[in-house]
Amino acid sequence: MSDRDTVLGAIRRGLGRGPLGSDARAALDRRQGATDSDPLLPGLPHGPLAQIFRAGLEKVAGTMSEIASLDAVPEAVAGYLAGHGVALEAAVAPSLGALDWSAAGISASIGSTRGDDLTGISLAWRGVAENGSLVLLSGPENPTSLNFLPDHHLVVLRSDDLVPYPEHVWSALRERGEKGWPRTVNVITGPSRTADIELTIQLGAHGPRSLHVLLVD
Amino acid sequence: MESLSHAFKERSVHALKDETLQVALHRAKDGFAVKRAKAVEGLPEFDALRDRAVAIKNHTLEHLDHYLERYADAVERSGGTVHWASSAEDARRIVVDICRAADAKMITKGKSMVGEEVGVNGALEEAGFEVVETDLGEYIIQLAHEPPSHIIVPAVHKTRGQIADLFHENHAKYGLTRKLSEVPEMVNEARQVLRSKYLAADVGITGANFLIAETGTSVIVTNEGNGDLTCSLPRVHIVTAGIEKVVPTAEDASTLLRLLARSATGQDMTTYTTFSTGPKREGDPDGPEEYHVVLIDNGRSTMLADQFREMLRCIRCGACMNHCPVYGAIGGHAYGWVYPGPMGSVLTPLSVGLKEAGNLPNACTLNGHCAEVCPVRIPLPDLLRTLRHREYQLKLGLKPLRWGLAAWVWFTAHPRIYRIGTRVQARMLALLAGRKGRFTRMPLAGGWFKGGRDLPAPQGETFMAVWKRRQKDSAR
Ligand code: SF4
Repeated sequence: MSDRDTVLGAIRRGLGRGPLGSDARAALDRRQGATDSDPLLPGLPHGPLAQIFRAGLEKVAGTMSEIASLDAVPEAVAGYLAGHGVALEAAVAPSLGALDWSAAGISASIGSTRGDDLTGISLAWRGVAENGSLVLLSGPENPTSLNFLPDHHLVVLRSDDLVPYPEHVWSALRERGEKGWPRTVNVITGPSRTADIELTIQLGAHGPRSLHVLLVD
Repeated sequence: MESLSHAFKERSVHALKDETLQVALHRAKDGFAVKRAKAVEGLPEFDALRDRAVAIKNHTLEHLDHYLERYADAVERSGGTVHWASSAEDARRIVVDICRAADAKMITKGKSMVGEEVGVNGALEEAGFEVVETDLGEYIIQLAHEPPSHIIVPAVHKTRGQIADLFHENHAKYGLTRKLSEVPEMVNEARQVLRSKYLAADVGITGANFLIAETGTSVIVTNEGNGDLTCSLPRVHIVTAGIEKVVPTAEDASTLLRLLARSATGQDMTTYTTFSTGPKREGDPDGPEEYHVVLIDNGRSTMLADQFREMLRCIRCGACMNHCPVYGAIGGHAYGWVYPGPMGSVLTPLSVGLKEAGNLPNACTLNGHCAEVCPVRIPLPDLLRTLRHREYQLKLGLKPLRWGLAAWVWFTAHPRIYRIGTRVQARMLALLAGRKGRFTRMPLAGGWFKGGRDLPAPQGETFMAVWKRRQKDSAR
């Protein structure tokens, strides 16, 4: 007997029944989640999604600036870095590689990082208003390492990609069909933090010390 | 992990006398409860979501074989490998074998309670691998060679001074020369040292908060980002997960996630919620080449058979221990195994046996706080009561207690003798206590009076006698 059969057999003994018939299994597959109903979604505050998103993000020590177009991103990044006394260098996701970084005075290395870049710049796939969370998908155009190794993480989010709840992200992923889920889906809510020493909250445990969102109209 | 639960009493006494521990526990106690209450207050749907969560977990457990098969098939479709472990020993062997096959030298670990449960670290170290815990709390207790004392904040029992000492002793080899004193510089010190480990590791091992059957995805939540560096930088990613972690869809996971962080730390949402599906895809610049999931039974399937199935709903949030007066007084180590507090007092006897851990269910005041705050409504006091009952039936309890109870049962079955007995006793005790009206010593019960407690003496009359007298008076 395979290990799989051993464990499944023990589970069925615990449940006091044999394997389910194919009808029962098909019925389970047709269900919409465990409760077979629409998810119960908490009410959101009134107002535009961008405003709710910002409130969630700021509650967890993230920051945000709104800019008019994608082309204006490098300039805004340069302003942010200069304002924080950080060198104008960054590891940039290939999805943002076509922007004119040098015109804004930023020396950009396009691609993933091995930890020697102080700043990483990524493109979010969605933003979730409920808690001010960013959703980033891994892929050739979006290296996961940029989300965690740099000290400062700057994330570009298109306002059209803002959704109210994470449930909207899951249905959008389902609609990708074949491609389905990438290796990694990162839902990021604020900069890295720890409370492991005397329950004192300290930002920048292992991941970025600061998280800044550039919301593009 | 080996259990020390048989020594619960001695360990509790020790904990109560440990002044440093008492300082650390005191700091933790109210912080957690207040933060949770605030977070819950901010979500009017909290209670309705709890009902949903119970329904999600119950349905999945009822069809656990089906959802695990769906999950495993989906993992294989995405290019990952699923391993099935019936016992702790199986789990250890599987993990060691994967690391050997990968020709690994260094292994980083994200926090995994089931990893602690089956003793992954010990097995890997014995097999000659270097294992580094990356969650700051886990890293601290690894340096101290201690087990976690809390399932969310493993080093909650340590003070800043103790942590400074640990770094001072262990980080000289990384160039640390002075003793640190502030929290930010300590966090930074760990950040620098662990960076090099992440980048050098061949294998990363994480736990899973949820497994999603539909997509074959494992979900971890961390605040530090250590879990992400652990599962995205090394060549091989191993997930260790209990079989009860599976849920049908990502929507189900979202419902549970709304409860988890609020119940655990009082956050609305943990910083990093990470969904891993298979190894890295073609063209991905980073991510592991191999993705393994070890599904661990280790006694869980047996719990499906009776009342203890309810315990399998547990999402390991820690709220029950944060609201437990016993945990608050003695901390996690006294419990002697991986899981402390109310949930641990249920899980430990089921896992290591009532003979070893029969005392844990007795260390409960049955005040019910744990059940009130449990996000998945586990009736912890009821389960503890059942375990007490089992312990009694197995004749494992303390002899004096068993005799005492037997005598009491006989007396209550003979009310007349009982009444005469109590009348004599009340008078005797009142006489013995004298004018003070309080006892500070008593034969056979020395332990109770330790630490300056006293006991009021009876007034000389029993309740029944007073009642009868009053009845007569008012009839007149
Ligand atoms: S028993 Fe309930 S409160 Fe305790 S850790 Fe589990 S889910 Fe949380």
